[in-house]
Amino acid sequence: MIDATNIYRTFKTGTIETHVLKGVDVHVAEGEFVAIMGKSGAGKSTLLYQLSLLDTPNEGSLSLNRVDVLTLSEQEKTLFRLNTLGFIFQDYALVPDLTARENVMMPLLMRGEKWVDASLLADSALDSVGLVGKYNNLPGQLSGGEQQRTSIARAIVGKPKILFADEPTANLDSVSGEQVVALLGELNARGQTIVMVTHEPEYTHQCNRIISMEDGRIVKEKKQRRNKH
Amino acid sequence: MRNIQIGLLLGLRQIQRANVWTNVLIIFVMTLTFLNLIAVSGLLVGLIAGSERAFREQSLGDILVSAKADEKTILGSEALAREIATYPDVSSFTVRYIESASVEANYSERRDLRGERDVVSTRIRGIDPEVENTTTGLAQRIVEGSYLSPDDEGKILVGSLTLDRYASGFGDAFDTLGDVQIGDKVRVSVGNTSKEFTVKGILQSKVEDVSMGMFIPEKEFRRIFNRFDRNADQISIRLKPGVDENTVKKFMVAGGMSQYAKIETFTEGTPKFLTDIKNTFNLLGTFIGSIGLVVASITIFIIIFINALSRRRHIGILKAVGIDKRVIELAYVTQAAFYAFTGSLLGALITYGFLIPFFDANPINFPFSDGILLVETSSALIRTGILFVITLAAGFVPAWLIARQNTLNAILGR
Ligand SMILES: Nc1ncnc2c1ncn2[C@@H]1O[C@H](COP(=O)(O)OP(=O)(O)OP(=O)(O)O)[C@@H](O)[C@H]1O
Ligand SMILES: [Mg+2]
Repeated sequence: MIDATNIYRTFKTGTIETHVLKGVDVHVAEGEFVAIMGKSGAGKSTLLYQLSLLDTPNEGSLSLNRVDVLTLSEQEKTLFRLNTLGFIFQDYALVPDLTARENVMMPLLMRGEKWVDASLLADSALDSVGLVGKYNNLPGQLSGGEQQRTSIARAIVGKPKILFADEPTANLDSVSGEQVVALLGELNARGQTIVMVTHEPEYTHQCNRIISMEDGRIVKEKKQRRNKH
Repeated sequence: MRNIQIGLLLGLRQIQRANVWTNVLIIFVMTLTFLNLIAVSGLLVGLIAGSERAFREQSLGDILVSAKADEKTILGSEALAREIATYPDVSSFTVRYIESASVEANYSERRDLRGERDVVSTRIRGIDPEVENTTTGLAQRIVEGSYLSPDDEGKILVGSLTLDRYASGFGDAFDTLGDVQIGDKVRVSVGNTSKEFTVKGILQSKVEDVSMGMFIPEKEFRRIFNRFDRNADQISIRLKPGVDENTVKKFMVAGGMSQYAKIETFTEGTPKFLTDIKNTFNLLGTFIGSIGLVVASITIFIIIFINALSRRRHIGILKAVGIDKRVIELAYVTQAAFYAFTGSLLGALITYGFLIPFFDANPINFPFSDGILLVETSSALIRTGILFVITLAAGFVPAWLIARQNTLNAILGR
């Protein structure tokens, strides 16, 4: 599903070059739930942006769903993200002008779904993350956990091949955090491929593999058996 | 189609969720811009239009018949007048005899015969008082004394600007008579002929033919000034409402009248200086309006720019989710269009619902005209169109500037 080989990402600020990713290899098979862990500044987010086409590596090759995505144009990448990828941000990243339902509808409408269908699909996606009846709330009228679940609904409503999540629990209390992780676990149990960055080891119990990063490199990989609570 | 729908939704929601006062302020600015663009130049042009209207109603009429260039008077005036009377489209007309005259006042009290005489040069018109009043409402211009009766003899109406006490506001711009009151005598001289008249009324008007001229009954005029051929100088024709003067003029020319006289519509007969001033004012109005337009487009630009800048992150998110950047641009253009539309609508309501009726009822008192607000629909539409296009561009550019930025940078606020 994901085949990233020898990924380098270097930032230039004036004359200073920051080597953030120094030859990273990541391979994720369909149906996996992979956690990326590491200290702050290790390059976890940067790696996730490369994998989810939000950023472009300076070097390396990347194939997603058997498509060589680095050769795509900017517009093709946007379209690929729309049709194949889902992304969950640490701080939910909902559009504040739109209701929960409209936020979730956005990618569907963009894909050409009819208004009514998109609205129904959005509602059932919100139902599936436990937000029954909050369809017309604006993000400001939802709690942090509810916002994050809305953002998960938006990410999964289009049935993406791969779901990326960058510290989806970081802004949540432990109850909400646990809910979100449980939700991801359920999705994974139904076959959803997920790559998640996280700080907290207690949230990795649903994952089948943990990749540890340090200073722009992968230093350890550990397979584990998923254990439900 | 899909893009348009999403763009409209996003734009609409942005307006909905924006602060009410922000929206009110922007729409207020747009309304002012509209008024600046349409009403200000409309007022400038209206100053002249008011003057033109007064000229038309009080002097020239809808169609003016006058002497041909190489003749002194209208040939066969009487026959011509009889013919004009048969036209069904003519509601009334008045025949005028005109001479340049010098008029002297206060001559009987004068002691020092070598001193300066109290005299003005003016144009004196011989009119049928009743017919003239039906056509131009001359009697309404009386501010002192009374209007001429049909059988008056030796009575004269004088324009207010031939008198010191009315013309003082104009400085020494033209000759005036000193202390002249109703019932005083003045001596009118044309060539070698002189006659004494009693001032019966004083006429005040924004039309100089009236305010700077003098009027006596036409019978007396013909007798004193030897106009025995009865050939007149002007026939001013008023048409029935809704009748096109060009059609009537064509008809008159086709009937052979132009052999005897010069036939002009009001527009052709309008003094050139009025047309010139009107064009100049129009240009001035456009200039002022353009400045307003530039200011408004900058305002909209800044508003949308700040708006888009403060939503830079959301724009990034939308792009990350897979929303095309053209959709995002459209959202901001929609917003700008909404402001332009509401502002223009409000401006149009104010202009047509309030300002135009108001200035029609209360014209601006200008020395040479009663100013009204004149808005030509075609030019108003063109200007509104320009306002729209510029506003849309002012909305598009900042959205485009921000939507083209790197998605990740936008989301992370870098
Ligand atoms: N655009 C950039 N320009 C310069 N340096 C950058 C840029 N993006 C990231 N970095 C640097 O790369 C390093 C890794 O950043 P990254 O955000 O990937 O860390 P992280 O592992 O996600 O950390 P955290 O756990 O705090 O989120 C940091 O030192 C950061 O300063
Ligand atoms: Mg990070």
